[in-house]
Amino acid sequence: MSEPPAYIGFEEYSEHIPASIPAAVQQATSRFVSGRAARVAELPEWEQLRQAGSEIRLHTIENMDVYLAQLEEKILSAGGHVHWAQTAEDANRIVLQIAKEHNVKTAVKSKSMATEEIGLNHFLEKENIQIIETDLGEYIIQLAGTGPSHIIVPAVHLKKEEIAAIFSEKLDMNAPADPIELARIAREILREKFLTAEMGISGGNFLVAETGTLVMVTNEGNGRMCTTMPELHVAVVGIDKIIPDWESLTVFLKLLARSATGQKLSTYTQFITGPRHEEGEFGPKEFHLILLDNGRSNILQDPIGREVFKCIRCGACANVCPVYKNVGGFAYGWFISGPIGAILSPQMLGIKTARELPYASTLCGACADVCPVKIPIPTILRHLRRRVAEGDAISLPTIPVPIRAAAGLSSLALAHNWIYRFGALILPTLMSIFKRNGWIPSAPYPLSRWTKSRPLPPFTSHFRRWWKTARPTQGKDSTR
Amino acid sequence: MTNPILENIRRSLARTPHPTRSLRPDILEPRLPESEDSEVERFLLEVNKLSGKAERLEQANILSALQSLIVEQNIRKATVWNTPRLNQLQITNHLSSLGVELVSPNADKHTSAQCDLGITEADFLLPETGTLVLRSSAEKPRAVSLAPRVHLAIVRPEMLRADMHQVFAEAKDGNYLVFITGPSRTADIELTVTLGVHGPKNLYVWMIVQTSNI
Amino acid sequence: MPKAQLFITCLGDQFYTTTLQNMTHILERLGVDVSFPSEQTCCGQPLFNNGFEEKTRPVALNFLRAFSKSDAPIVAPSGSCVSMVKHHYAELFKEGTPEHALAVDIASRTYEFTEYLVNVLKVTDVGAVYPHKVTYHASCHYLREMGLKTEAKTLLNQVKGLEFVQLKEEETCCGFGGAFTVTYPEVSRSMMENKVKDIVASGADTVVMCEPGCLMNVAGGLHKAGSHIRAMHIIDLLSSQ
Repeated sequence: MSEPPAYIGFEEYSEHIPASIPAAVQQATSRFVSGRAARVAELPEWEQLRQAGSEIRLHTIENMDVYLAQLEEKILSAGGHVHWAQTAEDANRIVLQIAKEHNVKTAVKSKSMATEEIGLNHFLEKENIQIIETDLGEYIIQLAGTGPSHIIVPAVHLKKEEIAAIFSEKLDMNAPADPIELARIAREILREKFLTAEMGISGGNFLVAETGTLVMVTNEGNGRMCTTMPELHVAVVGIDKIIPDWESLTVFLKLLARSATGQKLSTYTQFITGPRHEEGEFGPKEFHLILLDNGRSNILQDPIGREVFKCIRCGACANVCPVYKNVGGFAYGWFISGPIGAILSPQMLGIKTARELPYASTLCGACADVCPVKIPIPTILRHLRRRVAEGDAISLPTIPVPIRAAAGLSSLALAHNWIYRFGALILPTLMSIFKRNGWIPSAPYPLSRWTKSRPLPPFTSHFRRWWKTARPTQGKDSTR
Repeated sequence: MTNPILENIRRSLARTPHPTRSLRPDILEPRLPESEDSEVERFLLEVNKLSGKAERLEQANILSALQSLIVEQNIRKATVWNTPRLNQLQITNHLSSLGVELVSPNADKHTSAQCDLGITEADFLLPETGTLVLRSSAEKPRAVSLAPRVHLAIVRPEMLRADMHQVFAEAKDGNYLVFITGPSRTADIELTVTLGVHGPKNLYVWMIVQTSNI
Repeated sequence: MPKAQLFITCLGDQFYTTTLQNMTHILERLGVDVSFPSEQTCCGQPLFNNGFEEKTRPVALNFLRAFSKSDAPIVAPSGSCVSMVKHHYAELFKEGTPEHALAVDIASRTYEFTEYLVNVLKVTDVGAVYPHKVTYHASCHYLREMGLKTEAKTLLNQVKGLEFVQLKEEETCCGFGGAFTVTYPEVSRSMMENKVKDIVASGADTVVMCEPGCLMNVAGGLHKAGSHIRAMHIIDLLSSQ
């Protein structure tokens, strides 16, 4: 992932998905869904936690400037550095500058969606700084040169044989197709990198304003390695990750792992406030936090759309989304996928680029049921569809003219009931020429988009006549 | 002195630069702990559910337990937190007597990384999730619980806290805290759970208890 | 004698005359004085859900005009259509206007069919007989927007001879999603095929649901797959003797 996409063609991408991807994604998601269900059942206060999570996040969003200012003050007094990056380019340049000041040749990176958003890896590699993904899934897709297929397990679409082949080719070895062995190989190779890299780069799950603390939620230990071994730690974190205080953290830590993977807590949760105090304790000598805006502060103008910032990146929405489970992460065109991707990417990239995404949903509502912070995803999807179809304060409409024309005609016909009723009278006769054995297996465009997958039932449209004629004494037409 | 991002946030939120804070929503009540025995039991159970090896241990049996561990895990090099309690328990002496090479906990990272075993205490314990909570300092270096393939935490019941609320109240002003909940793991390859990716593969937890008739 | 206005829905109107006739018969047998405002066309949901709010307004106004001539409750064989009226009509009009007040009033007296039977008329047994193995697909808006979690099964429970089998993915979307079938036909097809597979695996000879939209999709999908499993609207099953 380097530059953000110029246009996300969800329809095109979703039509060319190899069958192995939905199969792999469905295996992962069903594991996470049953894990989540078990953990939720254990907590009778689950709904209260969701409500608290939602309210705290909303409060924070509405006071984001206050909390960010407090965060900066606290980090500075803890001896850390704070940088503000308005754009992706700013963030990349700041990382590069820090790297150059410290003669960094190699950086080890813990999983960070913010760094994927800005294309940091690609940028640093162009500047001859080796940047190595250390989260196993991210390491695999870095070697493979592909994007992530799932928020939590980005390489889940690859079979162990494929991963072994990738290791064998890129690492010049004979890697066996065994997950335990492959993990061991990654451990050995990456260990050396952890110990020799001059810089560790991470993202962050939460930023606690009260004390200027970065919270990292991980499982493998690479997050700890990246922030413990190198002398320099640079964290790139979106401004929306801010929360008020440690008391709030108790809510989010109870919600996050349970919603994401069905664990009670992830293996490691780190709470980092500035650099180390003493040399002997390990940890970085210098701590830099880069606060990334990249369009977020503009999205705050939209009271409906900005609820997207409540997100704690658990992936529970994707795990239950029937659309996502049938296409996997690539179809969403950017670093974030599933229902949250469908409401975040259009707001960050704009609806010229991402106009297809808000429609990549049947509005079934399964996501809203599981979101730990009660993001009203179907409402936001509809809200963004409105932006695409009719425009709003944020943007002019971008829907193709033929679709807008069709909508206009439909509206006309449905609003003036004599047009609709006339149509209802003649349609059955018109459409009967397509009838075969009680179904309409093939119809002209645009209905052909339906019939290529399943037949239409025949147009019967007989009720109104029946009401009028078959029930002269009983029938009551309230149109007098 | 303001910056463009904060300015833009304020503009977007359509408020003046120095607003008064609105009230925060209520957080849920903290958990009440059960009996110490019950909390210890719960804690050990949760660690073991995560493929950790947690047990009660009497102080007098530490040496023999270390001996078994060293044989079982083929330990040649070890590093130990330099805390009063671990010193009092003579951990480093025991290890030496068992032929284990001791590496200073403050050694450089390359040397530390060669250790097979890292021994720490814990600052707090969370029973509901089987979590060890560790601070960091020159006496309690971070690498000891991270770099070796085996991590042994020697803990006591008084470290137990009912839940995160208590831990945070006591520990939020430090510069570092880590929650360790089981050994390092991943499911990134075909969802097969693999332990010991980058962090320790084996987590031992010894809860030092006194029997009542000592 | 309770009164009710029939809201037949555009899909019901075009494709499911028998279902609408059955709905009329069931309600009349239960002693409801039924009327049919013929000015109705569509609730406007397909336009609204696709972002055409401005274009939905005149359609909603037609609906409000058609149904406000009587103050009787309104009953429809579709949870999604009812949800549109109940939950979104008021959003379309400015507060304080007569249209808004009308929308609020209409919203308060619009019901989905099973909801009307079980929660308003307090009827659970309509005397139906259907000695078959039946499974149930829970339509998304019916389930989640209308919150109707038990009504359909309560009614099915009273059907004589009916043997109920659980669909493994009962609450998973069938892929209809209104315009979704023509917006992303391949994804819609995948979802439909998954639902069909699940229905076939259940061992049922009938699948029942409460939405004309889902019914069109699932029935078509079963036919395409060469299955002989019957897909029915719950109203038709409840009319079986």
